[in-house]
Amino acid sequence: MSSRASGETAAPVPAPRELDIADLASESVIIFDTAGVIQYWNPASEALYGWPALAMVGRGIGHLSSRTADEDEHWRLLVQEGVWQGLVSRRTPSGAMVAADVRQYVRFNNDGTPRDVVEYGQRSSSDAAGDGADWHIPDRKMAASWEIDIGGALQKIGEIAAFRRTGAAADRALLNTLGLELVQATRIIDVNDRVMRLVGGNRGRELLVGQSVASFWPIESRTALADLIVDAVTGGTPDVTYRRQMPSDGILRDPLVTVWLPGDGGPPNRVLVAVNGTADDDRSFLYLRASEARYRKLVQFMPMALWQVDASHMGKIYAELRGQGVTDFGAYLDEHPDLIELAANTVPVTDVNRAAVEMFGAAGALDLMRPVGYLFTEMPEALRNVMIGRFNGQQNHAEPIKVRTLDGRVLDVQFSITYPKPPAELDVTVFSMVDVTERLSIAAELRQLQADFAHAARISTLGELASSIAHEVNQPLAAIVTNAETSLRWLSRGEPNVEKAKELTARIAASGRRANEIVQRIRGMAAKRSPERVALDLNEVVRESLGFVRHEVESRGIRVTADLGRDLPPAKGDRVQLQQVIVNLLVNAVQALEAASEADREILIGTGLGSDGALNVMLRDTGPGIPPDDLDRIFDGFFTTKEEGVGIGLAICQSIIAEHGGAIAASNPAAGGAAFRFSLPVSE
Amino acid sequence: MAKIPLVAVVDDDEAIRDALCELLMVAGLACATFDGAPAFLTNGVAGHYDGLITDIRMPGMSGIELLDRLRVTAPELPTLVLTSVTDERDRLRALELGARAWLTKPVADDVLLDHLKAALGDGDFLWPEDDAG
Repeated sequence: MSSRASGETAAPVPAPRELDIADLASESVIIFDTAGVIQYWNPASEALYGWPALAMVGRGIGHLSSRTADEDEHWRLLVQEGVWQGLVSRRTPSGAMVAADVRQYVRFNNDGTPRDVVEYGQRSSSDAAGDGADWHIPDRKMAASWEIDIGGALQKIGEIAAFRRTGAAADRALLNTLGLELVQATRIIDVNDRVMRLVGGNRGRELLVGQSVASFWPIESRTALADLIVDAVTGGTPDVTYRRQMPSDGILRDPLVTVWLPGDGGPPNRVLVAVNGTADDDRSFLYLRASEARYRKLVQFMPMALWQVDASHMGKIYAELRGQGVTDFGAYLDEHPDLIELAANTVPVTDVNRAAVEMFGAAGALDLMRPVGYLFTEMPEALRNVMIGRFNGQQNHAEPIKVRTLDGRVLDVQFSITYPKPPAELDVTVFSMVDVTERLSIAAELRQLQADFAHAARISTLGELASSIAHEVNQPLAAIVTNAETSLRWLSRGEPNVEKAKELTARIAASGRRANEIVQRIRGMAAKRSPERVALDLNEVVRESLGFVRHEVESRGIRVTADLGRDLPPAKGDRVQLQQVIVNLLVNAVQALEAASEADREILIGTGLGSDGALNVMLRDTGPGIPPDDLDRIFDGFFTTKEEGVGIGLAICQSIIAEHGGAIAASNPAAGGAAFRFSLPVSE
Repeated sequence: MAKIPLVAVVDDDEAIRDALCELLMVAGLACATFDGAPAFLTNGVAGHYDGLITDIRMPGMSGIELLDRLRVTAPELPTLVLTSVTDERDRLRALELGARAWLTKPVADDVLLDHLKAALGDGDFLWPEDDAG
């Protein structure tokens, strides 16, 4: 079949030094890849089984067995359990069978996936290579051992013990609930390797320590475990064991669970638990385990950051609240913000994947496996939304949020949550996050660019209005100067007229305020600022815009008719930008009317609510109208008919209105002149 | 017989109108205000007034147009222009139409009163003591 060379090109080739050492071993040392293909076969193996390395590297070992059919199943069990020890019978080149005691160990990668399998073997002392001696699994002797902190469960233990004394134990449902809560309240202090292999996904002990036993203990036998803990605690004597045979739970077949108080004189509130049993070899279960392994791997390497969250105790609180008749959970949370606090501090993250570790700049998964509050420091309202979604029985919920990473960065993420489907055996909620910071920052840059242009256009418009503005500010200043001088004259008389001085001083103050209002308005237009979206009275915006050009209009003898709709709903937009659009259209109209005779100079401005539910602003002048050839391109950037214009006014008007979710159009009405109309959405 | 001069003030800005009138009154003159040229032309018979102070840019009718009309109906009325407009053509046109002075806002009280005194100087007017001296 394959040559040694091709075998060596496979990934899990041991380091040369490892090979050298094993070359000198007197025990058979064989290294398989996870698919069972032999990668290495030392001289002692050749001595034991008779086959040279040349013949074995690159192929499986099943063909040496008399029970080849069992080989696949054995391999699955091995990979699942991580270790196997037993007697095998293998065929030598001569056709004779040789019995060997072998120990097989799975070596794992850091992420919990199996890397390779090392087998040590030597000729069986009994050499009883008989049928049925194959695949004997002595693993049942090796218990899965737990050391558990029951400090947090003492109250529940007391309650169950009390029920037993009073005979109320007949209420099975209540006892069952209490038992589940008891196990939930326990914490893992330590576990042995077998526990890690069976329920920890081989990803290290740290993953389990500190977590609730309930997170890893099959739900069907949690109540039985609780019973045994109560037995041991009420018994109160160290090293006295309490045991019970449990039903097969999909992890172990007919497991025997033993619970006792440690007699080692260590800290209080600890119990020891040992579970003996054969790894369940039910085929459907194996299939499940394999699919779970695939799923784990998939989840682990998914580019999307994932959090597994256990919110089961919140689920119970929600059920109670629903029972009390709470329906509007949002309102309830507003009255009871402490419930959000409770969720933030008590709902634990039970697992995270690699992308989550990377996204949050964590050193490892453990950094992120604590109560969920840290995910919502930037946007506490998002946690509230998550809770409302669960309360309302949604299957999922998504919203864009901001998160603060462990190294202090703030990210924009698309946050999605999948709730457990009731009735779920496992109460597992999954959070996912996709970093959209970059995408948002590009959008923000575009918005900034647009805002910069709009600002430039405003400054340009203000420049065109400079003489008007100067005139307008000068009016109150002139009144102030004259009133002040007059006041001084009254006060300088032989008999000062204080009453007059008071009256004039009051007028000075009023004119000062008026000047200030004008300055504020111009400052608003000139300021560089981020656009906002607020509810606006459109008619007020129109009136303010007319204020800007009042002098232009009046000094040119232009009649302005404002036909403002009554009871309009508020518009949603940016006040300054909308003023900018209207002022721009007004200035254009004023300039267009230069060509008209003074008697015919007229501007009509109107507001209204369209049949489509959008707000409309219409502006018409009695000028010469827009040349038909230009109608299509007057909104293009840098299109201008003015000698001194740069031609961004109408282009900016269009982009501002588009940003607001509206549309702008120009036309030449049959009655003459030019007309502009734009729409704006109504504020919700 | 000497009399107190009566001066008309035409300006579309109420604050300015009132301020000018107060200044004229503290200086011992009588004053009447109009919010625009048409109001002055219809309500104030030109012959009633001994002097006129008018703005230039006003809605309805500009100060230039008012000067143009008065040149026909009241050529003797001494008129001062008080405006924010700095347009040189307007200034020349106003002086051409007989304005005695072209003053820009804000104007110093002395300057305005001196020009007014000079404009009204030909008549037999009673000027109060200038207490501010």
